[in-house]
Amino acid sequence: MKSPAKFWLTRIVSVVLAIVGAFAAQGAIDGMKNSFVALLFVLAGLYVTLAVSLNLINGITGQFSMGHAAFYMIGAYTAALITKLAWKSQMNPMAWVLLMIVAGAITAALAGLLVGIPSLRLRGDYLAVVTLGFGEIVKIIAKNQEVLGKAYGMNNPLKYQSIFLVVLLAILCIAVCRNLLKTAHGLSFLAVREDEIASAAMGVNLTKVKVSAFVLGSAFAGAAGALYSHGLAFVSPESFSMDMSFLIVTMVVLGGTGSITGTSIAAIVLFLIPEKLRDLSNVKMGMIVGIGIALIITVALIKRAQDHYHKSSPPKAVVVIGLTIAGIMLAAGLGAGLANIPGLAAEVAGSKLRTVLLAVTLVVLMLLRPQGIFGHHEFSWSWVQKVLGKKNVPNVEVAA
Amino acid sequence: MSEPLLKLTEATIQFGGLIAVNKVSFEIERGQLFGLIGPNGAGKTTCFNLITGVYKPTAGSILFEGKPIGGTPANKIAYKGICRTFQNIRLFGSLSALENVVVGGFLRNRSSLGSALAYFPKAISETERLKGQALELLELVDLRDVANVRSADLAYGMQRRLEIARALATKPKLLLLDEPAAGMNPQEKVELLQMVKTIREQLGVTVLLIEHDMKFVMGLCERIVVLDHGEEIAQGPPEEIRNNPKVISAYLGEAV
Amino acid sequence: MLGAIYALIALGYTMVYGVLKLINFAHGEVFMLGAYGALLASWWMGHGPNGQAQQGSWLVLGIMLLTAMATSGGFGLLIERFAYRPIRNYPRIASLITAIGLSLLFQYGGQIFLLEGKFQAIDGKVMPASLEGDLKFDIKGKNLALLDEAKKLRPELKEAAAAFDEQLKSETSRFQLSPKGTELRDARDKIDRQIKDLENEANNGAVSISISKAKLLMFGTTLVLMVGLTYLVMFTKPGRAMRAVSLDFNAASLMGINVNKIVSLTFFIGSVLAGAGAMMWATFISGNKIDTFMGMAPGVKAFVAAVLGGIGNIPGAVLGGLLMGVSENLVDWAGYDGYRDAIAFIILILVLLVKPGGLLGSNKVDKV
Repeated sequence: MKSPAKFWLTRIVSVVLAIVGAFAAQGAIDGMKNSFVALLFVLAGLYVTLAVSLNLINGITGQFSMGHAAFYMIGAYTAALITKLAWKSQMNPMAWVLLMIVAGAITAALAGLLVGIPSLRLRGDYLAVVTLGFGEIVKIIAKNQEVLGKAYGMNNPLKYQSIFLVVLLAILCIAVCRNLLKTAHGLSFLAVREDEIASAAMGVNLTKVKVSAFVLGSAFAGAAGALYSHGLAFVSPESFSMDMSFLIVTMVVLGGTGSITGTSIAAIVLFLIPEKLRDLSNVKMGMIVGIGIALIITVALIKRAQDHYHKSSPPKAVVVIGLTIAGIMLAAGLGAGLANIPGLAAEVAGSKLRTVLLAVTLVVLMLLRPQGIFGHHEFSWSWVQKVLGKKNVPNVEVAA
Repeated sequence: MSEPLLKLTEATIQFGGLIAVNKVSFEIERGQLFGLIGPNGAGKTTCFNLITGVYKPTAGSILFEGKPIGGTPANKIAYKGICRTFQNIRLFGSLSALENVVVGGFLRNRSSLGSALAYFPKAISETERLKGQALELLELVDLRDVANVRSADLAYGMQRRLEIARALATKPKLLLLDEPAAGMNPQEKVELLQMVKTIREQLGVTVLLIEHDMKFVMGLCERIVVLDHGEEIAQGPPEEIRNNPKVISAYLGEAV
Repeated sequence: MLGAIYALIALGYTMVYGVLKLINFAHGEVFMLGAYGALLASWWMGHGPNGQAQQGSWLVLGIMLLTAMATSGGFGLLIERFAYRPIRNYPRIASLITAIGLSLLFQYGGQIFLLEGKFQAIDGKVMPASLEGDLKFDIKGKNLALLDEAKKLRPELKEAAAAFDEQLKSETSRFQLSPKGTELRDARDKIDRQIKDLENEANNGAVSISISKAKLLMFGTTLVLMVGLTYLVMFTKPGRAMRAVSLDFNAASLMGINVNKIVSLTFFIGSVLAGAGAMMWATFISGNKIDTFMGMAPGVKAFVAAVLGGIGNIPGAVLGGLLMGVSENLVDWAGYDGYRDAIAFIILILVLLVKPGGLLGSNKVDKV
């Protein structure tokens, strides 16, 4: 245990670092003078918050929720509605947005409480369906309320896109989850995930753990929603579809259930892949077929290599990399070859391939690495030290 | 003063038409090593489930330190000072041995969730304290070397001992062991016997245990209750139970 | 009647869940592929998009149904073999994500290969003429004597109306009648009211139901399929094996059951049922369009239906599906059609709060 003075020093330093980092991000993005990049950055940051907060519910506490977009939506609508009713242009926009973040977090947390209570009685798949249903109900209510703009949605009168706040929220969310995991409280959350009966027998209060996880997770989603609402100045029910909930769940699983680092990275990657692919050029049908065939063959071979791996054969990584390279070559060859067949020469718009590629990535990754990219592991400095072979790397605490 | 630590009075539980435990009564004195035996399906584990709050008794009463605990939620019972191990091991598989024991100690944790989320000194020091305590308990059950191994990866006998350490971390007054020696070889059983005795002496815990190995029970327990088909058929010190004709017939079948 | 379709799809969810404990999110897409199968079959048989075809026949319908079932069944098998089997031994969540991925893949990938993703519909003419129109059932007869009386008054009404019409010709304005005109009009209206009253009285108490023949056929087919399924699961050897696998996967394989085969079979049957549902959904419910996203909504609802009935439980899925269809119709009827899609979930949440295992599911308590 460190001395109090040192503790508070590191704490202040880390908070200052977080704020400076957020400012730096804001400065860097503003410097690019590209509003599209800024928007992407904001959305990616919000997805990090969403995925990490869902990870608290799904990954750490093991309560399978599939309605996270609903809490995001509640936060967004809360901010839009209150701003529409009460905002006056002479107010300080930054302070107002901060207030709306709190408001969004509180309403979403109340909703989380509402969903957390059934989680006491329901297990696994049943809870998943109930949360899914909750998401749909929230959306349908919004679609039918005059004051919420029905299916069209509503404008948020105050457009305020703040990379600074987005980054700060993401850091806060990550810090809170990391803090939790570093203490005995976090272990009690993990214990509930592992075995509810045993944790109850050890004196863990299931109600408290599950409800806190839901409330905390949804509060962060709600806060992110408020930022979304001000960032885009517009909210509509269709922006918070079931697909979005699925996407967030996917981020959590792909990153490695329970791993904060993995989840954050997966959130950024999964959000950016489809965005990057937006300006894909047109492709010939034959090319797609060829690449598809090559992909299936390669995945099958890699899978086989993984399953039948023996110590005596060359290192696994070498085999996998070799097969991957062979696969890429095969894909290129087959693609180019088949593209010349007249029947398959029709062009396919690149924009149509976006989600297809995302889906293929998902399926292939799950087939080859079902435990997620990071598994249960967490990125840590000691891990870096191990990789780099260095010692005495200062242990910087990111906490708020 | 001589109030029993645990007192069951005609405790009964019925699942549909099946009476799993029927009017079972016994008293456990402080510091006692108490055995609960009986053939398979006699209702021993159900009896444990009644005491630890997994099930609520349909009739009868269960008093712990003179206060009724029948139907109290499991986590509150653990807080009052009754903790158990499980017949089919229920460790937190992906947590390390140390972390398992820390979870056991968590109910005596004095920091709030808020302070954990903000990583305040209180939460840090409490976590440190629980870890220290957990290490001591791992030492006691001879698992210190594997403190950082995932509990699912431990050998079977180690997992059984880890369950005991985890239960002890809750600082129980009454420890319930559900077949602690199941699946152990004779050597391990002897060590376990010694360990249970040490635990009682060092920590002053009262122990109630279910066990099929007669040698183990007779060698350890000071008093034994025998259940058969949910009913209590005998009660007394080991020598008496050994020669009780009812017990013998329950185990070996009626002599024709 | 929509309930019957939900029930068919729900069966697929429930059967797969029963053996693998996996929510097959790609099931809605299997349904979609079945609909495309039916569509292509109908085109092939001359009911193309240009609508040149003649009236359809039972044969056309039969072939469409079989094609849809075969398409769905085939894709179900492929999905199981290449996507789920390789990761069966990993945590279930991995399969779940794979399922979501597959679902996206079929939805968006289908847009590339399937008819450029345009909305398509099956030509209504594929139905034989004998299937058009409604069937009317009189449950309680009308009072025929009163109707006769009303009929007798008809000529009188005709006379009065004719007289009034005659008078109307000499009137200056239709709205400002002369006294004679008014008198004649009132006489006509009186007789008219008499007739209507008599008819009303006669019809009062008479109950009749009219159902479109196509929907009746749909219901009948569903029933036949379900009976077939029940027979298969309860009374045949593979059915018994299926039940064994759903009870204990490992023990079943130790008892010499070829688990892989049974899982494939389960996927196949579940998918075939979805295919049948898809064909009927696209053909018999007018206004239903086919596109690559069409599996989403019925898929989710059928899944909810399966959970409602107790997932893994076959009669439960049927019950849940029917309940879902009925409640949606009721909500429509009550005028809250905006909340049509919410009702399914509201019912589900309410039921699960009372019975956490679904309506017919066993509320399993973990053994300690």
